[in-house]
Amino acid sequence: MPVADDIKSSWADEVELEGGTLPPPTEVRENGLKIVTEYKFNEDDKKVKIVRTYKIEKRIVSKSIAIRKTWSKFGESINDKPGPDPATTIVGEDVYMQYVTSKEEDNKVEDESGIDKLKALGDKNVVKCRTCSGDHWTSKCPWKDTVLAGGKIPDLDKKGTATPSSATEVGKATGTTKYVPPGMRGDGAGKRPDSTSMPGSRRDDTTAIRVSNLSESTTETDLEELVKPFGPIQKLYLAKDKQTGQCKGFAYIHFKFRNDAAKAIATLNGHGYDHLILSVDWSKPPAHSN
Amino acid sequence: MKPLLLHGHERAITQIKYNREGDLLFSSSKDNKPNVWYSLNGERLGTFNGHQGAVWCIDVDWTTTRFLSGAGDNTLKIWDCETGKPIGNITTNSSVRACNFSYSANMAAYATDKAMGHQCEIFIIDVRNADDSIGQADPILRIPVNGSRVSSLLWGALDETLLTGHENGEITIWDLKTGKKLQTTKEHDNIINDMQMSKDCTMFITASKDHTAKLFDSENLMLLKTYKTERPVNSAAVSPILEHVVLGGGQDAMDVTTTSARVGKFDSRFFHLVFEEEFGRVKGHFGPINSVAFHPDGKSYSSGGEDGYVRIHTFDSSYFEYGFDY
Repeated sequence: MPVADDIKSSWADEVELEGGTLPPPTEVRENGLKIVTEYKFNEDDKKVKIVRTYKIEKRIVSKSIAIRKTWSKFGESINDKPGPDPATTIVGEDVYMQYVTSKEEDNKVEDESGIDKLKALGDKNVVKCRTCSGDHWTSKCPWKDTVLAGGKIPDLDKKGTATPSSATEVGKATGTTKYVPPGMRGDGAGKRPDSTSMPGSRRDDTTAIRVSNLSESTTETDLEELVKPFGPIQKLYLAKDKQTGQCKGFAYIHFKFRNDAAKAIATLNGHGYDHLILSVDWSKPPAHSN
Repeated sequence: MKPLLLHGHERAITQIKYNREGDLLFSSSKDNKPNVWYSLNGERLGTFNGHQGAVWCIDVDWTTTRFLSGAGDNTLKIWDCETGKPIGNITTNSSVRACNFSYSANMAAYATDKAMGHQCEIFIIDVRNADDSIGQADPILRIPVNGSRVSSLLWGALDETLLTGHENGEITIWDLKTGKKLQTTKEHDNIINDMQMSKDCTMFITASKDHTAKLFDSENLMLLKTYKTERPVNSAAVSPILEHVVLGGGQDAMDVTTTSARVGKFDSRFFHLVFEEEFGRVKGHFGPINSVAFHPDGKSYSSGGEDGYVRIHTFDSSYFEYGFDY
């Protein structure tokens, strides 16, 4: 099989050869390879050196084939040199047989049709709520909060006229695409047992401070050393880029005591740290954090 | 695999054929010079210069001494393979669409087009002592074809019958002793572009514009297998060593300019002979494939396309290791 490589000479060679006539083509045969070097002018009148490397293979073939191999060329090829002429024979780029299993294709078609079927059905009867067995997602169930509060599943069969109306009302609120946090939901908040029984759930935020304008090279250890003097720390979070692992420029520090946090804010806000001026504040606006 | 691209033609390839040993590959195109190549390294041995029109069909005898070509210039020419010189020239009434040596190469058959007020006809000629006088010699047999024209042609067993594929999808067996139709079957709905024998000549595969290739028993025209695609099939060949068939085709040549290469499906498609299931594809051509041929050793195959290139593909080991799941 011939391997033809077109190698352009470097500009230095070209300069050297400039003006002179083309060097004669050379042909070197060594350890099973034939290396043919030719020089010619390309379209831009630049001298181009073409090096072609052929692998010489010996094959044992039947006599008839061997005789045919010695036939002289004719027609348009009569002036061709022995071996493939690069004008007519080109070694193509690698191609690979792509193995396909039509079974897979069939499955694909089935999958698509399945999705289409689902689309055609719409929301109806496709989903079933685990809480009330209605045709909506469990997370959108209007009875979700009720169940959490009361711990009993409302029986749809025994529902009076009042409950469906309230259900639709809630459905309006939760059915909208906009996310409403549980605490903000009109009736949901009141029913939540957590919100009243766990006043300490907010404690974290009240002692948390946000440090921003940190330099990229800041590490957790640096940050710890920075805030340690103010008091015991509950939790320390440094925002880091997922890919590079470098600091994204801000951090949250949860102190054990609010006083320490306030002290830290007072001291560190405007403090120069690693060529940047830190800005430190409560992690949430005071109005929300109380 | 690294294909060899043979770029000896200026126009669309019409047919490619290996000789019996497979060391030479013949190609013809809509330009007027059939080419012959060494299949191993893609070196061009020569061109057969003399036709004045698109060369539609070619064949080579089993000793690779003579080469047959039929063209749109209303001639059928017989050439010497070694020198590329014409031996004989037969002038016909219309363009020659299909030609084939018989297995023994004592005879040759060719079919002419239904055009210019002339009927489609099948001719059987004696080519044993072909020389300049063959143009004047009477054919052994001359069969006028009523109805749909012959688009492809094969010799049956023992050179006693002739199989023809027609423009309307019919396949006919002719008895050459009497010149009568023995049997006709119509399994295709559209023109049969190509017919190729399997290695043992017990079966042949047809390629039709009706998007299918079909495998027939060459004795009684029994339909054995159908290979379905979604594009017209221009050529099909049966592997001589494995139970594989390769199909070449694609979008119609006239629609190609409105189709991108990706959606044109100009791939060679490999089907399992028995299970009729596609298992592999080879990309490469920028236009529909007009002719495919397996090397007689089954280790490589070639395809000639509307883009004017012939591509010789030598199979990777993965092709031989590939096991068909069933």
